[in-house]
Amino acid sequence: MTTTAPATTTGARAGRAPALLDVEGLTVRFRLRDAVVHAVTDLRLTVHPGELLAVVGESGCGKSVLAHALLGLLPGNATVTGQARLHPPAGNPVDLLGCGERRLAREVRGRALGLVPQSPATALTPVRTGRRLLVETLRAYGHPRRDADPAADRLAVEVGLDPADLDRYPHELSGGMAQRLVTALALAPDPPLLLADEPTTGLDRPLVDHTLDLLRRRCDTGAAVLLITHDLAAARRVADTIAVMYASRIVEHRPAGALFDAPVHPYSAGLLDALPDRAFRPVPGHPPMLTDLPPGCAFAPRCERATDTCRTAPAPALPGPGRAACHHPLGAPA
Amino acid sequence: MTDLALPARLRRPLFRPGIVLASVVLVAAVAACLAAPLLWPLDESAVDLARTRLAPSWAHLAGTDDLGRDVAHRSLYGLRVSLLVGAVAALVAAGIGGLVGTVAATCGGRVDRALMRVVDTIAALPHLLLGIFIVAMLRPSLAAVILSIGLTHWLSTARIVRSELLSLRTRPFVDAAVAGGASRTRVLTRHLLPHVLPRIALATTLMVPHAVWHETALSFLGLGLPPHLASLGNMINDGQRSLLTGAWWASLVPGLLLVAVTLALAALTGRWRDRLDPRVRAELHL
Amino acid sequence: MTSALVAHQITVHYDRQRVLDRVDLRIAAGETVGLRGPSGSGKSTLARVLALLHAPDGGHVALDGQRLAGVRHRLPAAVRTRVAILFQSPRAATDPRLTLAELIAEPLRATGTPREAARARARELADLVGLTPDLLARRPHAVSDGQLQRACLARALVHRPGYLLCDEATAMLDASTQAHLAAVVTDYQRQHGAGVLLVSHDAALLTRWATRVVELPAGGRPTG
Ligand code: SF4
Repeated sequence: MTTTAPATTTGARAGRAPALLDVEGLTVRFRLRDAVVHAVTDLRLTVHPGELLAVVGESGCGKSVLAHALLGLLPGNATVTGQARLHPPAGNPVDLLGCGERRLAREVRGRALGLVPQSPATALTPVRTGRRLLVETLRAYGHPRRDADPAADRLAVEVGLDPADLDRYPHELSGGMAQRLVTALALAPDPPLLLADEPTTGLDRPLVDHTLDLLRRRCDTGAAVLLITHDLAAARRVADTIAVMYASRIVEHRPAGALFDAPVHPYSAGLLDALPDRAFRPVPGHPPMLTDLPPGCAFAPRCERATDTCRTAPAPALPGPGRAACHHPLGAPA
Repeated sequence: MTDLALPARLRRPLFRPGIVLASVVLVAAVAACLAAPLLWPLDESAVDLARTRLAPSWAHLAGTDDLGRDVAHRSLYGLRVSLLVGAVAALVAAGIGGLVGTVAATCGGRVDRALMRVVDTIAALPHLLLGIFIVAMLRPSLAAVILSIGLTHWLSTARIVRSELLSLRTRPFVDAAVAGGASRTRVLTRHLLPHVLPRIALATTLMVPHAVWHETALSFLGLGLPPHLASLGNMINDGQRSLLTGAWWASLVPGLLLVAVTLALAALTGRWRDRLDPRVRAELHL
Repeated sequence: MTSALVAHQITVHYDRQRVLDRVDLRIAAGETVGLRGPSGSGKSTLARVLALLHAPDGGHVALDGQRLAGVRHRLPAAVRTRVAILFQSPRAATDPRLTLAELIAEPLRATGTPREAARARARELADLVGLTPDLLARRPHAVSDGQLQRACLARALVHRPGYLLCDEATAMLDASTQAHLAAVVTDYQRQHGAGVLLVSHDAALLTRWATRVVELPAGGRPTG
């Protein structure tokens, strides 16, 4: 039923392996009583086996909604259009947006598409210890009972958690420990694609690095990770490719090194300039409300390069070294 | 925490068939209670010995009792009394519980320990027995029954208020208020109690059915309201005399009314509790 | 009189676990002290002690040369409001029932400023931290983390504190919002000669922003 991804969207890694995740024209809207939230607009991206893709953007740009849309975890007032296909190495391709809740729950979530959630406190069952949660998860995904316990310990060590702490209840864990526990839970079924939604919230720098390196190692062994983060330094440390999101759209999507060396979209450039080891200068102005996006380029009110042309929406960014979603990209004459 | 801040309007559907039914029952009951004295006045002392134990008919929808009084009519007045007693008693209990919980949490130390000891001691005694003891000390009257219920039902509220206050007090927003110069009283009244108030209101409403049943039990035992007063408990008690002669309606009708109204109340408050529960609310955040 | 916020030989235990062991720290007016250390080194605890919110088990805090006895409500409001603190999570640090305008004005209202004057000052500060007026009528759940942290900064500055303690205050924010808040704090500091403490794990941030960086050695078992 599925076709392989067209050559234009496989971008930089075309020819190496077929895309694991292929998203085309994904659009998410929330209906509110008196407004519509434009959470994700015409989004395309691909993730290949072994790739770590970081989606970066400021809070409120819609990047978290992207993860929830892929997992079918949006509230009832959301409308989702577009396509998102997952091609697990073992098993049949899944149409994530069209296959229905039952198939998602049974075959996809956890098994083929893992999630490290943003707020671990609400994701943990309060009446079970970490060990029970972890052992139950391991067994649910076919781990033999005999070595589920040692496997749980191994996972704990892998995420930087003292195995002794597994015997605590969630409310006895600090925020950082809970975050490491949900990471271990997401890794337990060994999913080929892991969505990590701000997985380092509440962690100290050494643990942030530890968690990031853990994600990196997964990719080095052939799995893929979609890392959603506000933290550019984290993205720089581990990502192969970076998609910069602004006001519901991906504005630039390129290999990490290229993006950090020479950003093409004015917003990406502004964001990089805000880093403390660069100019430490904020992007002027404020991001627009997702209920009230300006027509044309949403960045225009804050953009130095804006011209009249920018009143029409630029074409969406393509993955790879291709286009940024901008009429006057940097490096080209303004 | 939330990437896209969505308004709290994204909630689960408000209306479910059970909830609608419960609301209808409750609204009808309250409306009937309010309207009854205007539309259908009751003479508490009227008896009609020529028409005792008549089966339900168009003239007497729920039949008559062993003194010839209309059961439907008296049930309505019984419900009035029971709901009134239940509501006032629940308020009294909430007041006592709220006060004790607040004092325990804010004073802390020895005061806290002493108050919680009292709570534990009372909780160890059977409710009904204690209630009976209290009414027995006073004369049977509306006030005595209310006091008896109020004095035995405040424990859970006190515990809830105390533990909520203690856990709220350690939150950073309270630190921020203290650092901002807010006095003890202001922290309590503006930053702590407003968060506890919905919990108290909820506990109070959950208590109304309890209180109604407690009143019914006291009246059933003959220790509640004066016998001429139509309360549901009195009626069920009186109805016993007719039960053996086959006049089931005299007890059953007030009994069913009691069950229907308290279940409706419990269903609605249960729904409310679900909506207040932070775990349910947290799911709604993206 | 010395204008400084000073921690003298601060010792703090939690459940017999020693998190701080005779720690000294001095934040002079006008300077920006960076504080870093391994996890579990008690950085946040030290910030809370300096914010006069947590009573140390040993040692004391001195504010502008005056040794303080007690913390929280044992100190007069005028002393407490000399030191402001900004936490990592703006959600945990705000009362969800208040609008942003009320949130910012609350410390003024709490110390007896009339409503209108407090409102006006809140609007002024909102403008300073870059909150647009339409956001002021919203409650915390309807704004983003970045916007809420701006409101928290406005609230922290409302009493014109002599010292501002930022406990990982920008760790959850994107680079642009972080840079903007840093600029606001630096401006405020320049105008009022305030002392600033930055607790952060971000070496690049501390190098850029702090005038000197203090390393806090691990005082207890490292935990998350
Ligand atoms: S399209 Fe125009 S306004 Fe938008 S980023 Fe490019 S130059 Fe700026």
